Amino acid sequence: MLVNRKLILAHFWFAFAVFGVALTLGAWQMFIRSPIGTWLSNPELYYRSLTAHGTVMGYVFPTLVAMGFGYAISESALEQRLVGVRWAWTGFWLIVLGSIMAVIPIALGRASVLYTFYPPLIGNLFYYLGVVLVVVGSWIWVALMAINLRVWRKAHPDAPVPLAMFANVAGSYLWAWTAVGAALELLLQIIPVAAGLKNTIDAGLARIFFSWTLHAIVYFWLMPTYIAYYTIVPRAIGGRVYSDSMARISFILFLVVAMPIGMHHTFADPQVGAGFKFIHSAFTALVALPTLLTVFTICASVEIAARLRGGRGLFGWIRALPWDNPMMLALAFSFVMLGFGGAGGLINMSYQLDASIHNTQWITGHFHLIFGGAIVIMYFAIAYDLWPHLTGRELVDVRLIRTQLWLWFIGMIVTTFPWHWVGILGMPRRMAYFDFGDPAIAPQALSVTFSVIGGFILLTSGIMFIVILARGMRAPQVDAGPYRFALAVHQPTTVPVALNTHALWVALMIALTLTNYGYPILNLALGGGTSVPAVYVGAQ
Amino acid sequence: MSTRDLFTFGNRHFRIGVGIVLGMLIVTAIAGFVVLPFAQPWVQFANVWDAICSAAGVPQRAASVTAPEQTKRLSEVVLTSHTLARPNQEAIGRGATLAQRCAICHGPTGVSRADSPNLAGQYAAVIYKELHDFRSGARSNAVMSPFAVNLTEEEIADISNYYAYLPRLPAYHPTPQLPKPNIVIYGAPMRGIAPCGACHGSLDNKTGSPWLEGQSEAYLKAQLQALASGERRNDISQQMRNIARAMTPQEVEAAAAYYASQPPDVVKAVD
Amino acid sequence: MSAEDTHGSSVAVAARVERRWATIAVIIIVGMALLAAFAGIHQATMPQPRVETTDPSRIHLAGEFVESNLGSVLEANGNVTVRAIGQQYSFTPACIVVPVDTPITLRATSADVVHGILIQGTNVNTMLVPGYISEQLMRFGRTGDYLMPCQEFCSFGHEGMWGKVKVIDKTDFANRAKSGGRLSCVGQ
Repeated sequence: MLVNRKLILAHFWFAFAVFGVALTLGAWQMFIRSPIGTWLSNPELYYRSLTAHGTVMGYVFPTLVAMGFGYAISESALEQRLVGVRWAWTGFWLIVLGSIMAVIPIALGRASVLYTFYPPLIGNLFYYLGVVLVVVGSWIWVALMAINLRVWRKAHPDAPVPLAMFANVAGSYLWAWTAVGAALELLLQIIPVAAGLKNTIDAGLARIFFSWTLHAIVYFWLMPTYIAYYTIVPRAIGGRVYSDSMARISFILFLVVAMPIGMHHTFADPQVGAGFKFIHSAFTALVALPTLLTVFTICASVEIAARLRGGRGLFGWIRALPWDNPMMLALAFSFVMLGFGGAGGLINMSYQLDASIHNTQWITGHFHLIFGGAIVIMYFAIAYDLWPHLTGRELVDVRLIRTQLWLWFIGMIVTTFPWHWVGILGMPRRMAYFDFGDPAIAPQALSVTFSVIGGFILLTSGIMFIVILARGMRAPQVDAGPYRFALAVHQPTTVPVALNTHALWVALMIALTLTNYGYPILNLALGGGTSVPAVYVGAQ
Repeated sequence: MSTRDLFTFGNRHFRIGVGIVLGMLIVTAIAGFVVLPFAQPWVQFANVWDAICSAAGVPQRAASVTAPEQTKRLSEVVLTSHTLARPNQEAIGRGATLAQRCAICHGPTGVSRADSPNLAGQYAAVIYKELHDFRSGARSNAVMSPFAVNLTEEEIADISNYYAYLPRLPAYHPTPQLPKPNIVIYGAPMRGIAPCGACHGSLDNKTGSPWLEGQSEAYLKAQLQALASGERRNDISQQMRNIARAMTPQEVEAAAAYYASQPPDVVKAVD
Repeated sequence: MSAEDTHGSSVAVAARVERRWATIAVIIIVGMALLAAFAGIHQATMPQPRVETTDPSRIHLAGEFVESNLGSVLEANGNVTVRAIGQQYSFTPACIVVPVDTPITLRATSADVVHGILIQGTNVNTMLVPGYISEQLMRFGRTGDYLMPCQEFCSFGHEGMWGKVKVIDKTDFANRAKSGGRLSCVGQ
């Protein structure tokens, strides 16, 4: 039951529009700093573009997808009209306003500080305010998801919350809490300086605050993808979810352990104690658990679909899968990229291995493979799956969809594998140009050139995606029927309270944040004497 | 079971969840704060408490070390982005009076007819720093040093604010504008040279770095050479010596000639 | 066997398989964590043991990062200490010289914004955060020239911030160290 289709479509369209812009910038950045581009006479343009790319891809695009998808889940999984539609629109417009407010100073070259902010570098005040508005807009969504679940619970006491909604609300809580780190950094540290009220800032403390957000935000990006793995893919390929409770446990694990691990981003930082680095490293290892569980459950669910279609043998069933189904294709690509990206992630999580690749192109390769690859390709699949239900029109050209997914997969592999390689060779991130003519780094030139080709394949695929959706707005009308989610093999009739509510896990998430972040933050915040003079970018 | 019992030990999920998390915290805390610090023979801790505090990241002031004597005087100026950030009219007025004695070399409007730097519209922090360095002897010049020696802190600030307040005027070294040489546009990454404009104003201004457009070619060249040879060393922590040393003589010539040929009134990124 | 039974036993089978997989997953993770701890201790790649602070705008006035103290020094015990700073947009010393096969302690900090030190082809990699001192142990196994780019965005001249490390023969280094002072390969 999708009632507020316009609301959901608005979220998706704005998300994909800004995605298209940021993708184009990304391709340009890759080209301009590669051996085939010419050096920029104004390197600031590169950092400007990089700031825009990161801000859009990190804060605006995935947040809007999660929100739009969240509203769709709330309405269709709970079979209940969205409560608080006006608030939902308010949230949406806040994000639009925030995005515009942030992008203007970026475009003018007044906020080229990258989306990670990097104080004591300080850009234009409105950039930061724009980002704050985006976050505030998304918090409205968090509240709405909680309220809608509450309303439904009242009407259905003791009934199991549909898996999709359970996961969706878990994701929203994760986001609400993970955004607090960057919000504290912005509100307590950066904005007072950008507004001229203060002129010093503790750069080390700011990095700790940001690490609070920086890692768990990835799991927030991941949530729609995992929800699709569990609740859409099995239905789309004619199978069932292997285990409903395992799915719930995976989402709960994300909720609890995605948060207190962010300091693995500060392994090489001098302001964090070695003991806390170790604790965060250990908890980072734990976060691999829900992913390993998911891989198992989804593979099993897919196998069920294959066997139902007559697949036989130990591995023979793989051939029986509906490979012409875009959802099947997207899942397979997503898993391959998740596998490679996850293996890279295991390297990043240990201090010892991370030391050789920290802040090199390896890291860029890693998160593009995970986020741009494994996660975003499922965003595409979600959009394709939902589109007929949102527009009442059919997406006719399945071949084009398949081609688009293939190109995205190939493009992402061709882009990120060479990045990983040059990262191992020690190529630093975020430089506007490199002197590949110098024999010391000339061996990296070929790999970098390859990755540019990948970048343009991605751009092509991204354009195709938008074209497919746009054409879908004018395709022949069809009745897509109600939007459904996959059923479990053993559909639960009762679920233990702990697996049907979030309170316990949210409490654990907050408690773990306090234990793992409380001391390092207070230590520097109250210790004093570590604030340093701000450095304003773009001062002439 | 109802929601009420969620947070009790009667609830299996509560027991397991809290138990595992607590267990992991305790094990990793013991490992991270006690076991690992002492497992590193190359680090010495006074006692367990010292090890725990260090692992927790309690900030410590660095132990004092005896540095070799400085053979020559270096800059003792502390520059930050808020150095002289807010001038007032009075300070500028006082600066104007004081600046009369500078006019012989630097021109009555802050534009020099000789090969002295043009000061009109120069960043306040730049003049502030150089005057301090001339006063302390970190930078010396037969003509300039005697002027600076007797200036007070306030006088230095006033003069700096005054010159920063003056409009940037065309220089007295009219030459046709030269195209930007590569060393100015791109620097030379592998030699550790960033584009000049990243500090000197056209892209961004690093506090204490002057804008250079329209300055005397002879002056610019002499300064680059002095910085490269180490004869001039008042740039804090070698920030400019690092660059000047890595430049070739041709690049020094090209950069000096280019900047001298530029009109100073527009200092921003033009491609 | 009734349908009920089949259902019940299949649930049990499913749960058992699931549990096994979860156990394997946990074993994999614990194994990796232990491996990391082992490697850290046996190869001396551990995070710096202490958090030390400093005032970035005054480092040139007093303390260990004054200009005359930047560079490499041979300690009494045969180890080498290198002190360096990062600033927009260079490292000082811009070329660091160290002996091969010698335990080296790198101590560095930033004079303005966040920078990073990365020595290509090694696992020497640390952030320089203004206000804090970074310390890293290193040891080079072969002589030669290494590139040392700044690995963190430090504003618009970041792309031009590349330093060098020169690893030389031990006796060569000892000879040079005899004259006292702090060594670097700047201008060579």
